[in-house]
Amino acid sequence: MLSLPGATPFEVVAIWTVLVIAFFGLAYAMFLRRQVMAHDKGTEKMQDVWDGIRLGANAYLKRQLKTIVPLIFVFTIILFLSVYVVPPTEESKLRFIGYSDESLKLVIGIGRAVAFIMGSFFSLMVGQFGMRMAVQANVRVASASRRSFGEALKIAYRAGTVTGMLTDGLGLLGGTLIFIIFGVASPDTLLGFGFGGTLLALFMRVGGGIYTKAADVGADLVGKVEAGLPEDDERNAAVIADLVGDNVGDCAGMAADIFESYEVTIVSTLILGVVLFTQTHELSWIIFPLLVRGIGVLSSIIGTYLVKGSKSGKSNNALKSINKGFYSSAAISITAFGILSYFYLHDWHSFLSVVVGIILAIVLDEITKHFTDGSFHPVKDIAKNAKTGSATLLLKGMSYGFEVAVWQTLVIAITILASIMIYHGQPVTYILYGVAMTGIGMLTLTGNNVAMDAFGPIADNANGIGELSHLDKDARKIMDSLDATGNTTKAITKGVAIGSAVIAAVALFGSYITDVSKVQLQMGFDKATQLIETGIRISVPMVFIGLLIGGTIPFLFSSLTINAVTRAAAQIVEEVRRQFRIPGIIERTVKPDYQRAVDICTISAQRELIPLALIAVVTPILIGSLLGVEALGGFLAGVILSGQLLAVFMADAGGAWDNAKKTIEDGLYGGKGSDAHHAAVVGDTVGDPLKDTAGPALNPMIKVINLVSLLSAPVIIAYQKPGHASVGMFITGAICLAIIIGAITFSKRGGFKKEVFVP
Amino acid sequence: MSKFIYLTATPEALIASMLPPAEFGAYLSTGTKKRNKGQAIFFEVELGQIGKLIDIESLNRRCVAKSDGKPKSSVYLSVYKTLEMIPLSALKNLYLTTDTGHTLELKKSTYDTSREVLGKLHLFQELCPVTPLVASELTPSSFLKRLTDGSTPIVLPKLFFVDLKLGELATNPLTGSVEQLPYSNIGHLRDCLEILKGEYEKHMKTVQRLYSGSLLYRTIESGFYVGSKDEILFYPYPSLSELENINYEFFRSI
Repeated sequence: MLSLPGATPFEVVAIWTVLVIAFFGLAYAMFLRRQVMAHDKGTEKMQDVWDGIRLGANAYLKRQLKTIVPLIFVFTIILFLSVYVVPPTEESKLRFIGYSDESLKLVIGIGRAVAFIMGSFFSLMVGQFGMRMAVQANVRVASASRRSFGEALKIAYRAGTVTGMLTDGLGLLGGTLIFIIFGVASPDTLLGFGFGGTLLALFMRVGGGIYTKAADVGADLVGKVEAGLPEDDERNAAVIADLVGDNVGDCAGMAADIFESYEVTIVSTLILGVVLFTQTHELSWIIFPLLVRGIGVLSSIIGTYLVKGSKSGKSNNALKSINKGFYSSAAISITAFGILSYFYLHDWHSFLSVVVGIILAIVLDEITKHFTDGSFHPVKDIAKNAKTGSATLLLKGMSYGFEVAVWQTLVIAITILASIMIYHGQPVTYILYGVAMTGIGMLTLTGNNVAMDAFGPIADNANGIGELSHLDKDARKIMDSLDATGNTTKAITKGVAIGSAVIAAVALFGSYITDVSKVQLQMGFDKATQLIETGIRISVPMVFIGLLIGGTIPFLFSSLTINAVTRAAAQIVEEVRRQFRIPGIIERTVKPDYQRAVDICTISAQRELIPLALIAVVTPILIGSLLGVEALGGFLAGVILSGQLLAVFMADAGGAWDNAKKTIEDGLYGGKGSDAHHAAVVGDTVGDPLKDTAGPALNPMIKVINLVSLLSAPVIIAYQKPGHASVGMFITGAICLAIIIGAITFSKRGGFKKEVFVP
Repeated sequence: MSKFIYLTATPEALIASMLPPAEFGAYLSTGTKKRNKGQAIFFEVELGQIGKLIDIESLNRRCVAKSDGKPKSSVYLSVYKTLEMIPLSALKNLYLTTDTGHTLELKKSTYDTSREVLGKLHLFQELCPVTPLVASELTPSSFLKRLTDGSTPIVLPKLFFVDLKLGELATNPLTGSVEQLPYSNIGHLRDCLEILKGEYEKHMKTVQRLYSGSLLYRTIESGFYVGSKDEILFYPYPSLSELENINYEFFRSI
């Protein structure tokens, strides 16, 4: 099936080996799943609580499918028809030599549509399967905590690893499969694959973010603040929705988010790799990144399996063990990449780019940790400012949030500079390839990263089950320790998720420039007017306008997502208050109707998805059709820059406020109930939708915009030649504008019915 | 079902209940309808020793199980000058409840005045019958004696109070670190302590006239004191690490 001119026997074997590794990763995930499922689910009371979480999670996943599937169907048709607007590339003609134009269009159209479905399905599977695994694991972790710390840690981490290996395995499988089938024509279909994964990740991230924070804020405002109930009290009607929300946001949303970064980096690398292959006829530009990914999967398998805990232990032991697994994977990967480079590439450029990516992941981890972990100065400083009230606490948190955004962006800038230095003297495509390889390197340890992230909600839910089923002191101590570890690992992986999103977006940006130039060449543009030659000139007013508008999009998106959380949380507040008035609920003689709060969160989250997705999909088409491809490039630059800064600010300021509150709860400045604690609670409540809804939603949004730009650029070029204003483009722009205004109005109003649930 | 007699500190009241201490604490702090929220501090009182002070017949008539079989939560027996009339020997263990309803039992012990350190400043939160926050250069036993022995114009028949943490301010009010102290208006506290340090004749200074109704359990220095003149009952408060082992739920909720 693999038909690539110039492929050596080693390369043919290598590509099939990568495919086998992808399946091996998936088999490992299934193996771990069986291990986790073999553990017991504890007492009847624990299973009773767990059943509520399970049913809530299922309801969310089912409803999400109902919302998403029709959209997948619509986009599949659009992607299939897109080849009839812009013909397949020269590489496609080369790959399917002898095919008539019509047959070629049909093959590429079907390929792109199927790749889109595959990307969507894989992303959905990572999120949904990962979340189901987390739900299955949490009760088992709670049960194991009655026996030993080590057993509970192992179950929680291995369940997280299942999601990690699904991300690894499916991401690698999709890219490799498409490359095996389409060869040099793969860029034509890879975009569909990337777009599918990214769009679904956007849905899962936005939906998950709204759900989790609406439940969390609503449950806390009434349960903890008004009624004085402890965290996870069974009388709080939103308690199950809160626990489900942890899975929806931190497991399904985050896994889909990292999956699409993983997917998009391979897509952009392969697109750039194919460009370099056509120039140099060296297949290593394509094979090496796939092999790197394959090695990453193997090293993650080894590293994650090393994570074990002692019979009795504390949070520090768990973190040490998880870090040991992470650094073991990193060391194995770097060694293997070195050997591969020496014997296969006989060149160190790509190897260095990959290593820079791994270093970048570690540096971003450390920066995030420094600014959000309670043991470092910034969080302590924020907590200290709680003594003078919530205003100073908020200001201090904002100050550190702004600062960390600077450092993280500078680190990413240095990384790109490193690529420039590695490929010094080479044309720009090589440098962009270097950036893409950095993204590949950065996400080498995706298995470990996703495992660390999914560990968080599993430990959190286990603790909730422990609280609700009144487990004994020793078990509670173990679960508290695991929960604390989970909070740290969740915060760390957020840094990687954002960083990888930006690197992936920069790589896509590179693909945009090369792809647009390719289409321009195909359409007979002069070399001097091609984007790769002109660059994106912000001195051109239209481009500058594009840049400015691009910079506003993350703000618009964040505004709408935060608004959505506030609206949904208000509904939860009303519902919990209403249930508290029902005789018997407070006395524990009547069980609250948990399902109602779950339904409110589920429906609110899904209702917001479509307008937000439309904004992400339609805006680049609007800019491209009215201002042209170069301005669209400026628009992308604006989106990437302001998106990166805003995402880091929101995630890290929110994380820092959260941990400042936890530091005070651990005993600083009088502990719970002190004035400092009240101020910190305000900070945490403000930070929650920033760090768990708006901030993370920007990652997939940036990439959806990039991919839509990549997909729509050829159409824009075809119908809008320089100096020829096209009526069709103006009409397209007007339609897009109307859609955006409609989406904003719909989103601000909160859908068709405002108060669906208030009885 | 057994009957228990409790003396609550803020507000001062003698209450009969069929609930054992932990449940009574949860009832006081969170109520049955969850409409109230607030911590509770109360003693268990030996019924046999206060038989002459209360109407036992009325107690037996009123403190009975409800028609649905549930225990009676509270029957108020007295709400004014209550501590004053209860003999110290009738006070049993002290219970602290958080506003989320978790209760810690503190056992009564004999207070050893010889272990008191002189020359240190103290911060006492008076809990019953009056409730100001007072800084003092007196040791707990001297503080109690001074306020109850009639040597000053202000006399209390009995006093229940707690010794709060002052950190470095206990020895260095002017420049000592206030890093970990959660008190509001820390500048005023420093001023009060400075005055006590500087003025030989001054032994006590009111820091805050009104009690917020909520004690930060993490700021308790040595424990709770109740007594009159030379008679002291002491309820030592465990260190936080001890507390974590003794009562994990309480520890988590403070």
